[in-house]
Amino acid sequence: MKKGKINVALAGNPNSGKTTIFNALTGARQHVGNYAGVTVEKRQGSFTYEEMEFKVLDLPGTYSLTSYSPEERIAQDELLAGTQEVVVVVVDSTALKRSLVLMVQVMQTGANPVLCLNMADEAEKAGQKIDTAELSALLGFPVVHTVGHRGKGIDELKAAIKKVALQPLKKNRLVLGERLERALKKIEDRLEKTKEDPKGRGWVAVKLLMDEVPFVQRANQLGKGGQAAVGEATEQRKKIQAETGMDIAIFVMERYYGFIDGLLRETLKSKPRKNARYISDRIDSLLVNRLLGIPLFLLVMYSIFWITFSLGEYPMQWIESGFGALSAWISGLWPQGADSPLRSLITDGLIGGVGGVLVFLPNILLLFLGLAFLEDTGYMARAAFLMDRLMHKFGLHGKSFIPLITGFGCSIPGIMATRTLENERDRLTTMLVLPLMSCGARLPIWMLLIPAFFPPAWRAPMLWTIYMIGIVLALLLALLLRRTILKGKDAPFVMELPPYRLPTLRAVAIKMTERSWLYLRKAGTIILGVSILMWFFTSYPKTKSYEVDTEIEAGRILVSDSPTNKNTDKNSDSNPEVISPAQLANRRAAEDLENSVMGHIGRIMEPAIEPLGFDWRIGTAMLGAFAAKEVFVSQMGIVFSLGETGEDSQSLHETLHREYSPLVGFSLMLFLLIATPCMATVAVTRRESGSWKWALLQFFGLTAIAYVISLLVFQIGKLFF
Amino acid sequence: MNSARKENPVTDALEDYLETIYLQIRDQKFARIKDIAKARGVKSGSVSPAMKRLDELGLIKYVKREYIVLTPEGEKRARRVFARHQLLEHFFKDILNMSPGAAQKDACAMEHNLSDEAMDRFVRLFEFLEVCPEGRDLLEKFRGCSRVHHDIPCMKEDCKSAHRPEISEEEQQMSISDLQPGQSGRVTQVNGQGAIRQRLLDMGVFPRVEIEVERVAPAGDPIWIKLQGYQISLRQNEAAAVMVTRV
Repeated sequence: MKKGKINVALAGNPNSGKTTIFNALTGARQHVGNYAGVTVEKRQGSFTYEEMEFKVLDLPGTYSLTSYSPEERIAQDELLAGTQEVVVVVVDSTALKRSLVLMVQVMQTGANPVLCLNMADEAEKAGQKIDTAELSALLGFPVVHTVGHRGKGIDELKAAIKKVALQPLKKNRLVLGERLERALKKIEDRLEKTKEDPKGRGWVAVKLLMDEVPFVQRANQLGKGGQAAVGEATEQRKKIQAETGMDIAIFVMERYYGFIDGLLRETLKSKPRKNARYISDRIDSLLVNRLLGIPLFLLVMYSIFWITFSLGEYPMQWIESGFGALSAWISGLWPQGADSPLRSLITDGLIGGVGGVLVFLPNILLLFLGLAFLEDTGYMARAAFLMDRLMHKFGLHGKSFIPLITGFGCSIPGIMATRTLENERDRLTTMLVLPLMSCGARLPIWMLLIPAFFPPAWRAPMLWTIYMIGIVLALLLALLLRRTILKGKDAPFVMELPPYRLPTLRAVAIKMTERSWLYLRKAGTIILGVSILMWFFTSYPKTKSYEVDTEIEAGRILVSDSPTNKNTDKNSDSNPEVISPAQLANRRAAEDLENSVMGHIGRIMEPAIEPLGFDWRIGTAMLGAFAAKEVFVSQMGIVFSLGETGEDSQSLHETLHREYSPLVGFSLMLFLLIATPCMATVAVTRRESGSWKWALLQFFGLTAIAYVISLLVFQIGKLFF
Repeated sequence: MNSARKENPVTDALEDYLETIYLQIRDQKFARIKDIAKARGVKSGSVSPAMKRLDELGLIKYVKREYIVLTPEGEKRARRVFARHQLLEHFFKDILNMSPGAAQKDACAMEHNLSDEAMDRFVRLFEFLEVCPEGRDLLEKFRGCSRVHHDIPCMKEDCKSAHRPEISEEEQQMSISDLQPGQSGRVTQVNGQGAIRQRLLDMGVFPRVEIEVERVAPAGDPIWIKLQGYQISLRQNEAAAVMVTRV
């Protein structure tokens, strides 16, 4: 028996159910989607079968092995690295002919394959019968029927993997016709004299014949032998094209299909009925209808948002009061009135910061649940189909739509979802403009500012306007980017439209929790750290003597908890101002903030933000918003010495209304919408784009745009209001 | 001719066998004795001696007992016969306007003995008829004549009046972006280059494949096509790269 772990790779088309097979094999938690290309991360797992350990790698879903898209490149590199002892090719049984092209290519890489005919139930339902024994005999390696989401055939698959691991394939049974094989042999012979790995030589020969740039470049660097191989390939290509009158890519592909046709002729016992997609087609005739398609799509999106925010309301309140209670309980551990930095750190810093993020968890969960459902049913691909025209006009791709929509929940999973875009430029563009989609964390800001400055009838349209401004700006900015620094050819849109499938509860749940986890992790790590930092900046240095105390000593302010003296702001000059002990504490807190590091930064910033209509207090709160957008709300509460506040805080609404004009409010909302994506977003952009350059461009670019727009709005608005 | 035949030990019958093997390999990866017998309408027993002879001549190879592949020499030979067959069949059927059955039969009879020179002239004639406007005219006139007066020689007046129909719809090359929803076409060519073309080929958009445009997006772009039982979407400018003939 072989010692150590056996490496197994899973290869397959997008939508072939490869990830479901991966889950079934390893039991690992990760998501499965219907939207072309969800599996882009390197996913690994392991399983034990009959005392043998297997390490499984889930390759990105690809239609073929080329160097055109990152996914295809990764899959190709992994297979050529020669570390995979077994390669399971997962195939959608309902689209056999096309899916088997990948199998042929895997065979050409010299791999040791197992063919997994997935979705066998769907194919059978459609009346297709395939003789796996005969197919396996023709191919020379095991062929297994599976139904991934029901776990059917998984044991057989494991047994087949083990068998192949122990008894590697001896001879390649691939028959591609004399002409092609002769040409490939000649190129291979030239490669023999180079350092090229003998196992991968066959594949390199194919790619040289097809004139694929990265391979040609690499071969050219292999010295004389490599250059000879390139020369041979060029000659063979010319010959074949002259002899057959066919372009090389078509010629090779035709040979692939020839082999596949041969296989299927021998093994397909009955063909599927003419239309296996009858039900799916009927649904599409409604959902992708020329007239109804877009309205229905908007309705679907609206329902998801409605569910997110109306159903999310209740658990949100529970979490809020839960944290309130926790905070109160911890405060109670210290003696009344004692000034403890630790208590302050825990209640104000930790609970305040992390709690502020956790409050949105129900919203995030519901939104991701909805999106996961749409993806797994196959509707997302239709949405990309419906929206591509519009997106394309702004230099984006139909698929950009999904990450952008996800951005309404949270920019972080949105930016991560841009991985489904094949083209680097499309990806970067989408990523850079994504923070303009008003995320869930900005919702509390709108909930605070809109009611504070606008009458009830205006509130809903105002919220809508803010979202729309974000969308329109994102599109315009995308267009600008695609015309300037990200200029280049469009990526192919050619995309599969999988049939509608009823998603399994488990798959949707896994996907939802996985994405929500990303959000939570942000709360647990970055927000926690920043909360402590922000707490420190706002609490230190400590104020030595409070002005409000001096006023009390001078007799101008009277502290009393008599309830009759509530209307403090209507006092006359001659009488001392009467404030309650709570108000005294708040005033002291405000002074604390004013004298703190944050207060100082806010003041330094003031001249810069004054033309936008903001003062140092807003500036201070905006610094908080960089940590996490929702921190803005609590910072405003502290600045205005109102103690703990939420967005529904009546007193904060009133204070803001008194202190600032609606024009400042609007200018402020615009600034918060556009400027400075939160720290976590910057960090994720850095990771996903692979360089600080893009993250910093996003950060400074958006902030500059926000500044200019707020400036214009405020300065021009001032002339009218 | 006869002297040449004597030096050439490959008889017409053997060439027919080669052609059959070639076609079977093209369509199903290998040829088996029983399939060859079936295709030629003879008993398996009579195939074996012929195979033995072809093997001796180095034109075929047995992979297993029953399975046969062509050697490079054999494939060359078979291709030569097959090319002639197609050319002759095209000539009889499409130019001389013969019935498909008769065209097939005559092509089979003549394919073995057509000289390289004759083949070259045939190709030139086809090119002339195809490329030269007069050639096209002439061909159309001739077709009109042979349609109307099947048995009687063509009259001068008929020739003048023989209308030249515009290139019929099914022959016309168009791109799938020209197809309306509900219309189908058979792919003749995949243009374009690089990633887009590769993706189209990967998706099975491929010469001779039948494609139906099922629907278009509300703004008219992208379009939604069905092929071989599955559905893909592509933008109009990508669709423009795929040439089809209507079916």
